[in-house]
Amino acid sequence: MISLTSYAFVSMMLFSIGAIGVISRRNVFVIYMSIEMMLNGINLFLVTFARYHFNMDPQIVTVMVIAIAAAEAAIFLSVIILLYRSRKSLDTDIFNTLKQGDN
Amino acid sequence: MADLIFIALAFLAISGAIAMIVYANPMYSALGVLISMLAVAGMFALLNATFLFLVQIIVYAGAIMTLILFILMFLNIREEDLPKEPKKFRLIALGAVIMLPLNILILKAVSKLPQKDLSITNSDFGDIKPIGMQLYNNWLLAFELISILLLVALIGAVVLAKKRTSKINNKGEQA
Repeated sequence: MISLTSYAFVSMMLFSIGAIGVISRRNVFVIYMSIEMMLNGINLFLVTFARYHFNMDPQIVTVMVIAIAAAEAAIFLSVIILLYRSRKSLDTDIFNTLKQGDN
Repeated sequence: MADLIFIALAFLAISGAIAMIVYANPMYSALGVLISMLAVAGMFALLNATFLFLVQIIVYAGAIMTLILFILMFLNIREEDLPKEPKKFRLIALGAVIMLPLNILILKAVSKLPQKDLSITNSDFGDIKPIGMQLYNNWLLAFELISILLLVALIGAVVLAKKRTSKINNKGEQA
């Protein structure tokens, strides 16, 4: 029998690896995919507790999260295209026009 | 049987996620995320969420990841355009140290909950009909707001990606 803790372990691993990716990588695409990975981990947690409590509401919330992720993908990717066209780079440390001082 | 499938899916999900943060080339990262999302879809099926299993495969793996792969190939990124990341593994270790207490806290809290049987049932739990009944009765306002959000995202993407005469040149100066 698969316990609740094993599902929680997998979803927390996905969430943590996503957070680590946001912290450690400088490629815009990988940061975006890390955010998706965090959303995926939370979705798995929600669906696990939907099954645990035999309640349908967390699954509806998961549908909402997936819709928001789709909207986010459209906006994020068009912004990435604009940034890449103007700077010819995917490095997040280059996009510092709003930063005062050392450039 | 379900235990073996769960172990295989967990292994695929976590190894796909690790491949995402380790590989320097975003194409390999995207393929790692794809594997991870398909494994999570399999876990949804094990948790009796048949509709979400389909939605995860169609929307996440089919639409979002395909869009990312398409944009990656469309931008035609060369190896020397990729950002240099000399401190990557040190930062990964730092992030792991930061995330470890949160993980321990949540896993300890969850393991104290009473155990229940989470195996696949024969009821219509998670089927498309009960989900639709819930969605259109109790969650109608949220559903309408989500549809407005999707419309705004559609218009925003078109406006952003439209070709226009830029007032700022490549170095960020006024032309």
